[in-house]
Amino acid sequence: MKEGKFEPNIVAFTCNWCSYGSADLAGISRIQYPPNAKVIRLMCSGRIDPVMVIESFKNGADGVMVTGCHIGDCHYSTGNHRTEVRFEALQKAMKVMGLNPERLKLLWASASEGQQWAEGIIEMTEKIREIGPNPITGGVMAK
Amino acid sequence: MTESDLRIGVFVCHCGLNIAGTVDVESVAKYAGKLPGVAHADHLLFACSDDGQANIKQKIKDLNLNRVIVASCTPRTHEPVFRACVEEAGLNRYLYDQVNLREHVSWVHMDDHDLATMKAEALVGMAVERAKYLEPLERKAVDVIQKAAVIGAGVAGISAALDLANAGFETTLIESRPTIGGQMALLDKVFPQNDCAICILGPIMSKVGQHPKINLMTYSELDEVEGYVGNFHLKVRQKSRFIDTDKCNGCGDCATVCPVSVTNDYEFGIAERRAAYRPFPQAVPNKYTIDKRGTSPCRIACPAHVNVQAFVALLKEEKFDEALEIYRKNSPFAGSLGRVCTNPCQLDCERGKYDQAVSIKNLHRFLADYEREHGEVKVEPITPDKKMAKKPVAIIGGGPSGLACAYDLAREGYSVTVFEARKEAGGLLRWGIPEYRLPRDVLRDEVGILKQMGVTIKTGTKVGSISELKEQGFKAFYVATGAPGSRLMNIKGENAKGVYHALTFLDTVNSGKTVTIGSKVAVIGGGNAAIDAARTAKRLGAKKVTIVYRRSREEMPAIPSEVDEAENEGINIEFLATPVEIDVKENHVSSMKCVRMRLGTPDDSGRRRPVPIPDSEYKISVDTVIMAVGQQVTSDALLSKLEPSQWGTLEVDSVTLETNVKGVFGGGDVVSGGATAIEAVATGKEAAKSIDRFLRGVDLVEGREEILTPIEDIEVDDLIKMRYAPAMPTLSMSKRKTTFGEVELGFNEASAIAEAERCLSCGVCCECEKCVEACKLDAIDHSLKDKIVELDVGTIIVATGFKTYDPLETREFGYGTFENVITNAQLERLTNAAGPTQGKPKRPSDHEIPKRVAFVQCVGSRDRRIGQDYCCYIGCANSLKQAIQLKEKFHDIEVTIYTMDVRTHGLGYEGLYRRARSMGVLIVKGRPSEIEEVPSTKSLIVYAEDLYTGERLETTSDLVVLATALVPNDDTPELARKMKLSTGEYGFLMEAHPKLRPVDSFQDGIFLAGATLGPMDIPKAVAYGKGAAAGAQALMAPGVFYVEPIYAEINTDLCFDCDLCSDMCPYGAITGKGEERKIMFELCQGCGTCAGACPHNAIDMRHYRRQQIMPQIMAAIKMQGGVVL
Repeated sequence: MKEGKFEPNIVAFTCNWCSYGSADLAGISRIQYPPNAKVIRLMCSGRIDPVMVIESFKNGADGVMVTGCHIGDCHYSTGNHRTEVRFEALQKAMKVMGLNPERLKLLWASASEGQQWAEGIIEMTEKIREIGPNPITGGVMAK
Repeated sequence: MTESDLRIGVFVCHCGLNIAGTVDVESVAKYAGKLPGVAHADHLLFACSDDGQANIKQKIKDLNLNRVIVASCTPRTHEPVFRACVEEAGLNRYLYDQVNLREHVSWVHMDDHDLATMKAEALVGMAVERAKYLEPLERKAVDVIQKAAVIGAGVAGISAALDLANAGFETTLIESRPTIGGQMALLDKVFPQNDCAICILGPIMSKVGQHPKINLMTYSELDEVEGYVGNFHLKVRQKSRFIDTDKCNGCGDCATVCPVSVTNDYEFGIAERRAAYRPFPQAVPNKYTIDKRGTSPCRIACPAHVNVQAFVALLKEEKFDEALEIYRKNSPFAGSLGRVCTNPCQLDCERGKYDQAVSIKNLHRFLADYEREHGEVKVEPITPDKKMAKKPVAIIGGGPSGLACAYDLAREGYSVTVFEARKEAGGLLRWGIPEYRLPRDVLRDEVGILKQMGVTIKTGTKVGSISELKEQGFKAFYVATGAPGSRLMNIKGENAKGVYHALTFLDTVNSGKTVTIGSKVAVIGGGNAAIDAARTAKRLGAKKVTIVYRRSREEMPAIPSEVDEAENEGINIEFLATPVEIDVKENHVSSMKCVRMRLGTPDDSGRRRPVPIPDSEYKISVDTVIMAVGQQVTSDALLSKLEPSQWGTLEVDSVTLETNVKGVFGGGDVVSGGATAIEAVATGKEAAKSIDRFLRGVDLVEGREEILTPIEDIEVDDLIKMRYAPAMPTLSMSKRKTTFGEVELGFNEASAIAEAERCLSCGVCCECEKCVEACKLDAIDHSLKDKIVELDVGTIIVATGFKTYDPLETREFGYGTFENVITNAQLERLTNAAGPTQGKPKRPSDHEIPKRVAFVQCVGSRDRRIGQDYCCYIGCANSLKQAIQLKEKFHDIEVTIYTMDVRTHGLGYEGLYRRARSMGVLIVKGRPSEIEEVPSTKSLIVYAEDLYTGERLETTSDLVVLATALVPNDDTPELARKMKLSTGEYGFLMEAHPKLRPVDSFQDGIFLAGATLGPMDIPKAVAYGKGAAAGAQALMAPGVFYVEPIYAEINTDLCFDCDLCSDMCPYGAITGKGEERKIMFELCQGCGTCAGACPHNAIDMRHYRRQQIMPQIMAAIKMQGGVVL
């Protein structure tokens, strides 16, 4: 733990078939990225209830990533369509909650896109570092 | 379960150094041990090993653990292993969870071990929180249907199907081509033993065709698939071959007479096949197929639906009488309409999108003229049917509409009489159109066809009423008296001397009477009548003829070639002007006052309305004015008894053409007010249809429509050479000046055939029905339709194969531009004894055997520029094999292979490489940079660099062969979507695990085999096929399959029927309302989308419950390793 340095705390929801697989592939390919995102494995990104995202921010997550299969490739055919719609609604909700909408990110990555997963995490981590800790709780690793 | 009852066991795996090398596993285990609810925490070297698993099982028993967490590699690999492990120790398998410390931590955070360990601890903490809420679940058993389906009958699919069938499972083998055998059947020899491909595959194909347990569906495609493992429901479309396969014996008589040729995909484009074809002699099933894509656009565009593609195809084959017969099935006017038709067919001609539409009109004109030049116009008389003779038909009006109606009715066997008021039949074709466009004898002979058929034509007979004809015994009537009246301009001076109306003017000239014409003639109008009047006036001696038209050239309705010829003949056209007054001196035309126009907004016809420009009046000096501003119907005794429309034309039903009097039908110009000849013919034919139905007492509307299916995507060969229609030879200007000799002289035989060759054969089969005549077994039926066959199976194997990369997309190395650059696949066909050159590798330009051949490897493979940077697996071996073939047959042939690397992997291929070199095949390490063609010889200069010696090479080759990549089939994305399969980076279908599960897909019950997964050779494809079959059998044999109990459940107490959920489910698993609402676990696949949507939390998902996820999220936020806040 680096004293005094803000380490973003990011929750990443993944789907079993694509995005969890892309995270696996990033690992197999030994692509390095910062350890700030913790993966929660679900069967489909469609399982993500918007309440889960809101509760995440309420309780202090600095960033939330909603990840899944590319549109058209969902293992359950239309699950990610709903995810996309919910994400758009959540983006609007971010403002209502008084949070920078860049704290919420949508990433579609197929199981063969390890590089994209890593890049997504790197980008997200950098962005959250820039924006700073979650203002609601003052952040877990506030200075 | 209260926290005090929880006894969680946490096992942190070193995975050798894979995890332990980065993560301090001891520390993680220690951390876990301190968490509330954890009864045991330890670290293992290899958790998945026998040792490791034994340890876990022992601890479960000894310490009464009721939850187990293994923190190791990705659960996507070993979750099933550990679940089985805990189950063996007596713990429910769903009380187990796995934490990914390898792919998600140790392998990706190698730079900072501290942070990696912290993350690992946090992830384990999350799992512990989730574990508290896990519940025991039972897998449900579903019955597995003991049948299989294999999609794709290449060598992989065939191997799979045979193994399944031999094991006793009824297997349906679905193949989209008309034959099984896939790509292997098209090869010549296969490496490394250089066996003849079809010789080794053929007997296996026969076995498939005859196997009692294999239901072979060829020329069939998967339309839809529903269901789940063990219970798939497929809808398979069995496409129509238009040949009854029960009757067909593969004799090939249909192909011999078929006039349509298209590129043969089975020869990779280097040869052609007929529309009626068999892919190759050893096809299984050994049946012919007629490739019919739909109705060609020309036929649909023609108002009379003449089968254009058919007569053009037969003309191309020099079968002129058969071609003319096709036209004559429709009307007798091949020659007349071949001169005057406005050819709507040409406007829709697909060829027109490339260079120029095929000159369809002039082609059927040629056919008519050819008949006249080589004999006489002769048709067989038709004796009217005895029964039908009792119902004679009267046709009033002997113009194109009436005559077309008579023609069709006579061909049906009716007794027909045409009543024509003028002294000769033909309508406006005879009395309106000038002779230099339509010679009298051509029309006379075609009208004569009707007489030869037995139709009675009474000329000089005007009919006063229908009742007088009824008294004569006629039972049905067609009124087609035309619109011979002229529309008036209603301007001052219109009835002065020297002012004519075009129709009257032309009629007078066509009657052989003299017309006084001045020297300065103005013709008003822009339609064909105006052009006819102008050109006629010129021939009658007018010095200056000017056409005055109120719109611009683009809006002129006249046939463009007619307008061009008018201008060639010296006629001026004044656009955007119209007369407002005719000046009269001594009751004769002296000049004309005109006003300039500009184009305003479009009117009802879509054309821009001309608007007069104020103060733009001017005078032109004229002594004759001919007005050609439109036709109208002239009222007479007959028409006065029938209902008129609001425009003064005859009112008829738009579909049946019946007037207000039963049994009296109307069509042609008398109904339309003035349209084209082909439209008149079309309505005449419709009337004949109505009259036939009326006389038979059959409904006039039902089933009368001719079914023409437009083609969705017209397939056109990419290599069309641009070529325009031949110029129409015309009569010289000097001859035209004073005679009415025919101006357009028609194509000669060579031009006509060459023009017919430009036809793209859009529909492929043109329904000329020569095949029907030729088939001695009566097996051909063009009305056969596609059939949808529904199947229920337990497992599906997808073995849909690959296609070869087409270098045409990039025209690499001159492919598509230089004739003698071909691909491996094409060379394979050239060396194949059953191929287009009977096994002689004749090069395309001059059919000579090349003396020097160069192979270029990796075309489209290992190529990052086009995103295809994988190795094609078979290119090196294939080229070596082909090189050896060439050397064996022609010892002196020089062969050079330009490679990036030579990849001869495994057993047997190194031997192939050595053999090739020992035979003198030169192998150069260095890809060519460029290939140039030598124009005189069409040989090719290959520029390359030998990377070993650094030497620059410039070698001439007679033939260049490109070793092309293997790519996914075009329909792979759609198939993947239908079956919910994943595709990989390059578009191939993706297996569940590249090392351990090569034939499994991510969908339980669906297996993958062969090159649909990626480039591979034949033995590998066979192995995959057999492997998939083994997988399918392993799944089906027990008779039941255990479905993961990860499915959604609904608490109807909380549900308030907002119904957001049922639409959301792609599997239709949510049914009912209110208390009856339920989720069918057999259909639910466990995505959880409904649970995510339910606003009242009435739906939850087993094993991914809200109460299991939320604590995990909280732990993720709060736990940052070491520090719990």
